[in-house]
This record gives sequence, structure tokens and C-alpha cells, in this order.
Amino acid sequence: MRRALLLIALFAAAGASLLLLFQADDYRWNLPGNVPPPAVPPDNPMTRSKVELGRFLFYDVRLSVNESMSCATCHVQSLAFTDGRARAIGTTGEVHPRGAMSLVNVAYASRLTWANNLLDRLEVQALTPVFGENPIEMGMAGREADILNLLRTDDRYRELLPEAFPSDENPYSMLNVVRAIASFVRTIVSFDAPYDRFQAGDRAAMTDSQVRGMELFFSEKLECFHCHGGFNFTDSSTHSNSVIESVGFHNTGLYNLDANGAYPEDNQGLLELTGERRDMGRFKAPSLRNIDVTAPYMHDGSISNLDEVIDHYRNGGRTIVDGPYAGDGSRNPYKSVFVRPFEITPDEREDLIAFLHALTDQSVLHNPEFSNPID
Amino acid sequence: MRILLSFLVLILVAGCEPKGFLIEIPFKVKFEGMDLACSDTDSTVALSDLRFFVHDVRLVGQEDQEIPVRLVRDGVWQSRNVALLDFEDGEGACMNGSARTHTMISGITSDIDAKGLIFEIGVPESLNHADPLLAEPPLNYTDMHWHWASGYKFFRGGVVTDGDGFWMHLGSSRCQGTIGDIRGCLSANRPTIRLDGFEPGKHAVVLDLATLFAAVALDDGQPTDCSSGPAETDCEAPFAVLGIDFASGDSKITATPFELGPAE
Repeated sequence: MRRALLLIALFAAAGASLLLLFQADDYRWNLPGNVPPPAVPPDNPMTRSKVELGRFLFYDVRLSVNESMSCATCHVQSLAFTDGRARAIGTTGEVHPRGAMSLVNVAYASRLTWANNLLDRLEVQALTPVFGENPIEMGMAGREADILNLLRTDDRYRELLPEAFPSDENPYSMLNVVRAIASFVRTIVSFDAPYDRFQAGDRAAMTDSQVRGMELFFSEKLECFHCHGGFNFTDSSTHSNSVIESVGFHNTGLYNLDANGAYPEDNQGLLELTGERRDMGRFKAPSLRNIDVTAPYMHDGSISNLDEVIDHYRNGGRTIVDGPYAGDGSRNPYKSVFVRPFEITPDEREDLIAFLHALTDQSVLHNPEFSNPID
Repeated sequence: MRILLSFLVLILVAGCEPKGFLIEIPFKVKFEGMDLACSDTDSTVALSDLRFFVHDVRLVGQEDQEIPVRLVRDGVWQSRNVALLDFEDGEGACMNGSARTHTMISGITSDIDAKGLIFEIGVPESLNHADPLLAEPPLNYTDMHWHWASGYKFFRGGVVTDGDGFWMHLGSSRCQGTIGDIRGCLSANRPTIRLDGFEPGKHAVVLDLATLFAAVALDDGQPTDCSSGPAETDCEAPFAVLGIDFASGDSKITATPFELGPAE
């Protein structure tokens, strides 16, 4: 009798945990078979209801102090979730020292933003644009009560929040806001570019010029792939099967203000966090997926098109002749060893740019699941 | 409200710690010895912000022994060990923040026969890197969060003069690890403040921002700031005044912009 009771209890427990598992992770990734799912923090498993809630929050301008800016203001879908500006502008007009980064495949980023070796989870990163003050982005520092009030009074959030967080006695919290936004942003994945289809066996997906450009891209002559390698075209990538985390920050010789390697004072990269001189000008290599639609380029948007980006690398760094930023970046003592001059013919340059265009995934730019759900 | 609070504290004292004394330590802010506020039309200098955490408050007894002060947990400004002082009232030059202020800390101590006061500015390392969205008050206050830097702003304060000014955000820097798994910070940047001669009930703690910002150019027409980045040279001078070695982040009990003043 006792054994029977025990069995029943065991079955009940197993059933309950199965049910829990089912509720905890009912989200299905839309990924090709050879791409592992992203690593998702165990305390914020993916669910469809969280993703739906996060999508509304992502597009909600009421998360900014003057109700004029949402996450999507700087992360525009048609621009691969960038904003087309050299430097982002906050809701009160403050200019950010750096440009808005693409959110495509950000779920696979081992570190977030341009130069932060500490920041590895979207749930924390989401707080900086909302509450950051230096510069002001959405300007909500000290105003979390306004956000909580919005959540508690808005009909849609009164429905979606309890649905997304069914076991929370009080689901109306900032913690749940960032969990939902992070869940939505993780769904913005892109592996359907001509390059991906070519890799999957569709030889017609890329032109001959693009194939030649791909060979150049992955050549030791150009060295592009050392920093922009791997399935996401950046060495700062991770996924659910990763064993060793890959994180890379590189000085590419964009500046050399004092011949001692200095970058402009408001934008010195990893050094701003570590204080280590060797970290001067070190920034994360961004993913090159959809690079054609994310101009202008570099952390400060100081290069306007891909042709000039190739010039920068061809010269092994950028020389600025006059003005406050004058200097020979190619001689920056902190420059990555992979950034060194190379020869490139006009035809090769054309092929290389054609290949970079083959990294544009039209589906992620137009997928209605990522679009603004607010009427 | 004050009466109610004192009453509650008496119950606390009676219930849990029969020998405890309730002490209240007022804090004041001045500029060159004059009262400083967010909106003051008589002065050329105005406060633009002043909020800071203190923790590990203790009295120095007659035998030089340290007597811990256990803060009164109030669900808003104070936990058992950390208090937030808030002088900005959202008026005048204080563009961010709220009308609510908190300028006096209260705690319970086993002895009030004291000849000094010691406290730390900032959030203890054991609490500094936990998820701020799960923290208890006053650590849940987003103005003091420093998400990308993995901890809290320990101190935020500034003044504006005519078209100029300076502000400072103090916090730990050169942190190691990743957010959620920080192994510590090479520059702790937690000033220790020691005020000899402090007597409970008689003295207030006075922060003179003119002393803190003495070496900062407040009237060169170029507003400047320090946000504790290890490469920010504008931080060196105010850090030195707070007794922090800018290069190492270590606190030495030396010069201090804090001094004693009358309690009333």
C-alpha cells in the first residue's frame, strides 16, 4: 500500500514537472538544422507569451520620459535593427558617443554593446537604455513608478503580464519588463541570407562575384575572418552548445591622436572600463550579417560606406590628415595584429562588396513577427 | 510620522535589544560653509544633485572601540546596514530625482558614550553586484543603479554655477568577471569617513561640496564631470579629497570634505 502511494506520488510529481517544463519553454526557434539555439539564461526561459509581451514593450514609446522613444526608435527593423545614424540620439536630444548596434542575432553575442567585457545578458543591458543618464537615452532614471503604473493600468499589459508570468503573485515589475523585452529580442535571428542558402547547398544563391568575394573574405591575405569569423561573423559569439566562450575586442587603427595610440576622449573603448592602457581603442567586432543596411560604420559611425571601410583596412588603419582627430591610425601601437595593409584590385574590391551584400537576410528585415504590433 | 517612527523604534528596542539606544545622525550639505539647496536665488551656486549611500556606520567609544550602529530598516531609505541620503528635491537645478528627501540616518547602538563616528560611503561589496531589480530598499532605487558597470552609483552629487558646474558619480570600477558573476573590482572606490569628536545628539555630519570640488574648475565656462572611469582624469582631484587613491581605488582615512556641525 505504501509502495502504491509512493508510485502515485512519483507519477504525480513527474506529471507536474512535465507540465512545468512544457509551460516553461513552449517557444520554438526558427533555425536551420545546422545552427544551435542561443544560450538562454535559466532564470528567463523562452515562452511565447513572454515574447509577445516583449514585442509590445519593445515598441512602446511610453517607456521613455517624454513618450517619444521606444527601443525601436534606435533599432529599426528595416535597417537590421539599427537607426542609420552615426551616433544614436536620446529622447531628450543628447547624442550618444556611439552608434546603435544591430540586434540581429544578438542572442548569440557573448558580450553586449560596443566595448563592455562585463555585460553578457540582455536582461541587464535592457536597463541601460531605459534608465541610463550619461547620456540620457530613454530617460526613465528614478521613474520606475511611472513604468509600473503604466503596466498596472494599461489593458493590454494587464492581460499580457499575468499570462507571461503566471506564477508571479505580482507580475508588474521592472524585472519582468526586462525579461520580456530580452525574450523578444532573442527571437530576432537571421540565418536566411544568400550566403546561408549557398552554404546549405543552393549554389545559385550567390553570384560568381559573391563567391570570389567570399574566398577573399576568408583568405589570409585580407584577414577579415579572424575577427568577423564563425557562424555569426564575429568572434564574440556564443550559443547553447558552446564550451569555451569567445570574446574579442580589437583596436583597428581608426585613430592615433597623439602617436601614442590615443582615441578621442569620449570614445576609448574597453579602456573606459578597465583603465588598462593596452585596452585603448578596443571595441567588439560587430556581426557582419546585414552589414549592407547598417551604415554608417564603426563604433562612432565615422566611416560612411563599405568602400571606405575596405580602404581603412587596406591601409592597415586610417590616417586623418587634419582637425582634432589628426593622426596615423595604422601606426597605433595598440592595433590588432590582423589589421595590416593589403593589396586589392578594383575587381577584387567589387567582389568583396558583393559578398558582403550576400549577408543581407531580407526575411529578418521584413518578418512581421518582429514588426510593430501596436496599431 | 517622526513620532510614529520613534514609537516603532522603541518597540523594536524593547522587544529585541533591551540595551539598545536609538540614535539619529543628521546630515547637511554646504558650499563654502553656506547652506546649499537645489533652488536658491540668493546664491551663485546651486545644488544639482546629491544622493549617496552610507554603510557600516559605527561610533568610536571612549576606549577607541568601535560600536556598530544597526540602521533602522524603514522599507524606503534604510536597510539594516545601508542607508541612502538624498538632498535633492527635484526643484531648481536638480533636474532629475524627486521631491522626497532623506537627510538623517537612524540606528540602534549598544552605547552612545562616543567620541567619534566612522562610516563608509557606498554599497558593501557583498551587495554591490546582486541584481538591483531584486534588491530591497534603498538598493532598488533606479537612480542609483549603474547597470552597465555592474554595481551601484555610491555617490552622485554636483553643483551648478552660472553656466558651469561639475558633477560626480562615484562607484567601483575595473570590475572583473561578468554581470551576475562579478569576482570583485580592482578599484573599490569606497571612501571611509572618520569624524573625531562626534557626539550623538550634539553633532550633524556636514558635507561641504566646495571642499570636495576644490580642485575642479567650476567657473571656466566648461561644465565637467567625473563618472569614476579609470581613465577619467577629472576624477583624480575629488577622489583625493575623499581619501581615495585614484590609481588603486584604495581608501585612506585622510582629507575629507565631511566635518562636524551642530545638530540643530
